[in-house]
Amino acid sequence: MDTISNMLYGFQVVLTFQNIMFVFIGVLAGTLIGMLPGLGPISAIAIMIPLSYGMDPASALILMAGVYYGAVFGGSTSSILLNAPGISGTVATSFDGYPLAKQGQAGKALAIAAISSFAGGTVSVVALMLVAPLMASFAVSFGPTEYFALMLLGLTAIASLSEGSTVKALISATIGLIIATIGVDQQTGTQRFTFGNPNLLEGIDFLIIALGLFALAEVCSLILSRKSKMMDGNSNVGSLKITKKEAKEISGPIARHSVLGFILGVLPGAGATIASFMSYITEKKISKDPSSFGKGNIKGLAAPETSNNAATSGAFVPLLTLGIPGSGTTAVLLGALLVVGVQPGPLMLTDHPDVFWGVIASMYLGNLFLLVLNLPLIPFIARILYIPKALLISLVIIFCMIGVYGVSFSTFDLYLLLAFGVIGFIMRLLNFPAAPLILAFILGGMMEQSFRQALTISNGSYLTFFDSTVTIVLLILSLLSLTLPFIKSKLSKRAAEDEEEHLAS
Amino acid sequence: MLASVERKVAIVLFVLSILYLISSFQLPAFPYAIVDADALPKGLGFLLIALSILLFIQNPIEDRKKSDIKKDEVWMLLAVAGLIFVYILLFELLGFVVITILFLLVTSRLLGYTKWKTLIAVSIGFTLVLYFSFNYLLQIYLPQGILPF
Repeated sequence: MDTISNMLYGFQVVLTFQNIMFVFIGVLAGTLIGMLPGLGPISAIAIMIPLSYGMDPASALILMAGVYYGAVFGGSTSSILLNAPGISGTVATSFDGYPLAKQGQAGKALAIAAISSFAGGTVSVVALMLVAPLMASFAVSFGPTEYFALMLLGLTAIASLSEGSTVKALISATIGLIIATIGVDQQTGTQRFTFGNPNLLEGIDFLIIALGLFALAEVCSLILSRKSKMMDGNSNVGSLKITKKEAKEISGPIARHSVLGFILGVLPGAGATIASFMSYITEKKISKDPSSFGKGNIKGLAAPETSNNAATSGAFVPLLTLGIPGSGTTAVLLGALLVVGVQPGPLMLTDHPDVFWGVIASMYLGNLFLLVLNLPLIPFIARILYIPKALLISLVIIFCMIGVYGVSFSTFDLYLLLAFGVIGFIMRLLNFPAAPLILAFILGGMMEQSFRQALTISNGSYLTFFDSTVTIVLLILSLLSLTLPFIKSKLSKRAAEDEEEHLAS
Repeated sequence: MLASVERKVAIVLFVLSILYLISSFQLPAFPYAIVDADALPKGLGFLLIALSILLFIQNPIEDRKKSDIKKDEVWMLLAVAGLIFVYILLFELLGFVVITILFLLVTSRLLGYTKWKTLIAVSIGFTLVLYFSFNYLLQIYLPQGILPF
């Protein structure tokens, strides 16, 4: 079997002392940062990027991937204990997790979350291992028009699936593309929008935008909420044990939602947040006793927790095989990969098999580490929630500064970082989503390149975009995805009703 | 109220896209390119104009999140932004270690952290650990400034 020998090769890459350490550091840092309310996987990855400079690509991706799924894993802890989700992918976890904690069963809730996360993560890594090579062999034939259409689909999908107004999300995406045009044009060498400033010749580094729009903007929100403590005195989470009956009860949702989560993770624009909500809603719908959801139903906890972790591995399929991220988080991961000199895509399987199979193998290991970190050790790890916010805020600011300075060694970039922090905060106040902006910014350069390549090959004829069936299908899908908000508004109405019901009871 | 804020944002975006378009039309032409460097910027400029008009005319979606900020909180945000600005200004001059310790002390105190002993220990310890691990383990050299090491 090909897959088995490839996997063995992957484990060969991972099972060196150095790489095991990186998996561990990655998942630990991810868990800790993901646990802190507000700091999500994008901030976590961006903060950890400086560590990866100079690493070999396989180790760098192993570390960064660990941070990513570690953050999704860790985010559930603060959802359960504080009702303050660390990341948006674990919001649905708090619906039933927090009521359980209030009933004095925090330990049980944490255990169920950890087990479901582990199961979801592991099942979807198996799926990733099987699906990714197929996808890559399919994508080898893609030309510039297919890539352009695919990236367009990614952008329209994330815009229409993000929270709030679609027009605002599209504006965010357009601004991201506009920022990407700053710098020397790669094909003609024309300087665009540099205003004669030599610091802008190479364009703006993605890390500045990621840290500014996400981490620094989050710092602003933390400043506003600094007076509320993250956690009050009681650190006793209670027993971590779950009974056999409970284990049986959650096995159904775990099996269902690891598949659902994986599929939603592969789709562009969806990701952990949407997967967890979808799972929560479907689990509630098929339940015999839907009224117990929101009051501490363990199925309502297991479903979104399985699904968000499954979606995380699913998101690696388009990233690794097409080189096209489907979400803001994977966009930042792609940026991190480009820094160490690897261009993911269909050729990665043949050009960098160590990176490809190494990262997949590392996920098995990482999920095991996470299970250990999040089950027996959780009472200790949860202590990070005692760090006073005033101290945390200033430390996060310093991490952002070093991260940017470590790439460019220029204070000009630090000023830019501050500016993007301000922009990010204003965007939050005005409810403009930031994820489409970072995705568009990272896709921008590639989109322009494939767009112009396509037209150069066809000698300027736009009909080239209607030559291939794949391109046409993708373009139609991008158009269709813009109609999604109408369907979504219906869904969110139902969710709002559910919430009211939940509040009334 | 909500509508008027949205409309102001739309007007700002409209003006920005006009400025962007004007500078895209001033981009120099490259004689041998089938699709020149100005093609995409022009398209994006028009797209942003269209979107800002849409934002202007559409009914604002009611957001349940309230984003009211009190006045003294605004001052706090500006103060922290100011401190970051000063930090960047003196970063290469004073060096990472000195300026970071000062920044951590001042910012945490300003934000209401009062335990001086812990604060001093954390500021110095954190800064030194970061400095040495970056300079010696990762070989990413942070500015040493006025210190001899």
